[in-house]
Amino acid sequence: MLAKYVARRFFASIVVVLGVTLITLVLMDRTRGTYVPGIDLNPALRPEDIARLRADLGLDRPFYLWYLTWIWGVVHGDFGRSMIDGSTVMSHILDRLPNTLELTGTAIIIGIIVSVPLGVIGALRRGSKTDHSLTVVSVAGFAVPQFWMGLMLILIFSVTLEQHGLPWLPSSGAFSAFAGGDILDRIQHLALPATVLSFFYMSTWSRFIRSSMLEVLSQDYIRTARAKGMSERRVVYLHGLRNALIPLITLIGLELPGLVSGGLVVEVVFGWPGIGKLAFERALQYDYTTVMGVTFFATLLVIAGNLLADLLYGVLDPRIRYG
Amino acid sequence: MTQPLLEVQDLHTVFSTKDGLVKAVDGVSFELNPGETLGIVGESGCGKSVTALSIMRLQRPGRIVGGKVMFKGQDMTRISEYEMREIRGREIAMIFQDPMTSLNPVYRVGWQVAEPTRLHHGWDAKRALASAVNMLGRVGIPSAAARARDYPHQFSGGMRQRVMIAMGLTTTPQVLIADEPTTALDVTIQAQILDLLRHVNREFGTATILITHNLGVVAGMCQRLMVMYAGKIVEAGPTADVFANPKHPYTWSLLRSIPRLDAERHEPLKPIEGLPPNLVDLPNGCAFHPRCVFRVERCQRDVPSLLQVGDTQRAACWVTQAGTELKGA
Repeated sequence: MLAKYVARRFFASIVVVLGVTLITLVLMDRTRGTYVPGIDLNPALRPEDIARLRADLGLDRPFYLWYLTWIWGVVHGDFGRSMIDGSTVMSHILDRLPNTLELTGTAIIIGIIVSVPLGVIGALRRGSKTDHSLTVVSVAGFAVPQFWMGLMLILIFSVTLEQHGLPWLPSSGAFSAFAGGDILDRIQHLALPATVLSFFYMSTWSRFIRSSMLEVLSQDYIRTARAKGMSERRVVYLHGLRNALIPLITLIGLELPGLVSGGLVVEVVFGWPGIGKLAFERALQYDYTTVMGVTFFATLLVIAGNLLADLLYGVLDPRIRYG
Repeated sequence: MTQPLLEVQDLHTVFSTKDGLVKAVDGVSFELNPGETLGIVGESGCGKSVTALSIMRLQRPGRIVGGKVMFKGQDMTRISEYEMREIRGREIAMIFQDPMTSLNPVYRVGWQVAEPTRLHHGWDAKRALASAVNMLGRVGIPSAAARARDYPHQFSGGMRQRVMIAMGLTTTPQVLIADEPTTALDVTIQAQILDLLRHVNREFGTATILITHNLGVVAGMCQRLMVMYAGKIVEAGPTADVFANPKHPYTWSLLRSIPRLDAERHEPLKPIEGLPPNLVDLPNGCAFHPRCVFRVERCQRDVPSLLQVGDTQRAACWVTQAGTELKGA
């Protein structure tokens, strides 16, 4: 049953992948004009050289032929080479992916660890000063743009602290070139971008947990649990929280594509060498192959995230059956 | 005369709403004797459920603002929350109206039924589960050992109510409060659940408070009966006597409104005219007087108290307390 369900989801996702990559290509192709990635800036090139390079990259053909060639490569595990620097797209992605996973993984974990208790506290003390303060903070979390918050943190924790001769945090990159992968050095680099990214997750999720918990606590089975003589702690955490967390799984599952894209702004602001920054830079340069490769992986992650969320749902909620 | 098991004295429970204070329970007094089944009857919103919840101190967001609930020599409205938890589910168990939503959907039924003994008797999981399975079998769940591993959504409504009853009985409580236990069930299943409650009452000697709006249920189950209206008890007495000779016009009207099988065909139903009162803004005097066919001038002025009327009954009514019989109209 489950295998059949996963198989059906798999076939549905092929359609999604094709659609998303095709749209990405069309968007790039329609806006590119006569630009040739990476080489237009060289004044020494003669028109016939440009035409030859265009032909080499396959850009003289209609986009659908280019697309079919690309798909053919992907099916055979070949994502091609970057149009800018000639190294393989796969090596670019594998190079950047660990950094992105490090950043967003940290942010998601911090987000969960912080938002669940905050949400529960908000629900249990509804209408109190604590609850109102939490509301204000999380609305700020939605409202403040990530790039602005990033710049402010850089201003405070990197610039101002350094000016006053205090210990400061690095504002850019994932590690110092001379530190040689020192773990403390990586954590210092991670601190600011992970804070910005997790702040957004915290804001969304703590609101969500709060309302989900409020709804659960008004359910009849919570009254039953109280009538059985259980402590308030047991009622809230054993009988309430598990029910309240079920819908959060979907939300987090939907956040998994953020592993690639959600952190894009943060990666750009903090110069974090991740997938999002890669896609951003290469899209500006019309590096077709790299952008298509990243898009492909991002789409796969979205699909995998959704599927994972659905499967986790079944683990947490016995009422869910796959068929 | 045996000592009452549970004694409610002048209980007041209020709810603050944006329209004003609602006196959901307004001076209710009664006692429950060991092993008996007491019925509390009334229409929706008359305060019968809140009375039950107040006994368990689960009336939130309402507040108990007066009165006592005496159980085993202590006033349950005064004891600490910790002491209260020791009573809930151990000495006094409660089952609710809607068995579809009263069980936690994410835990196995056996686990939920075993929870009270694990908690109150400190039994380990294995022993508690064995006793839960045994109890599930005793309340009539077939192949209980296998069913204990199922989740609530795999049970029918009637079976879930059996589970709720089993959950209440694992700790062999002295009092079982059943709040509309059959209202959400099909008629045939209702009869089965009532049979089970009767059986439980006999076999375990559990005193039962049965809350219902169904007079038929009370007739078949309860030795004594209380009728509530607008947060007050308006009539109390042995079920047979109240049915044969109601001493409050509200009870009288309720009984008269039941369609009879031996009546003339096409005879119109006899509803109680008017609507239940607005609890924020009760009428002066007796709360029932605007709908009462027997009312006299005094009913609009003074609130009657619950006094002896006849040999076995008590009623809160100026008319019957003055000796008038309720007839005709």
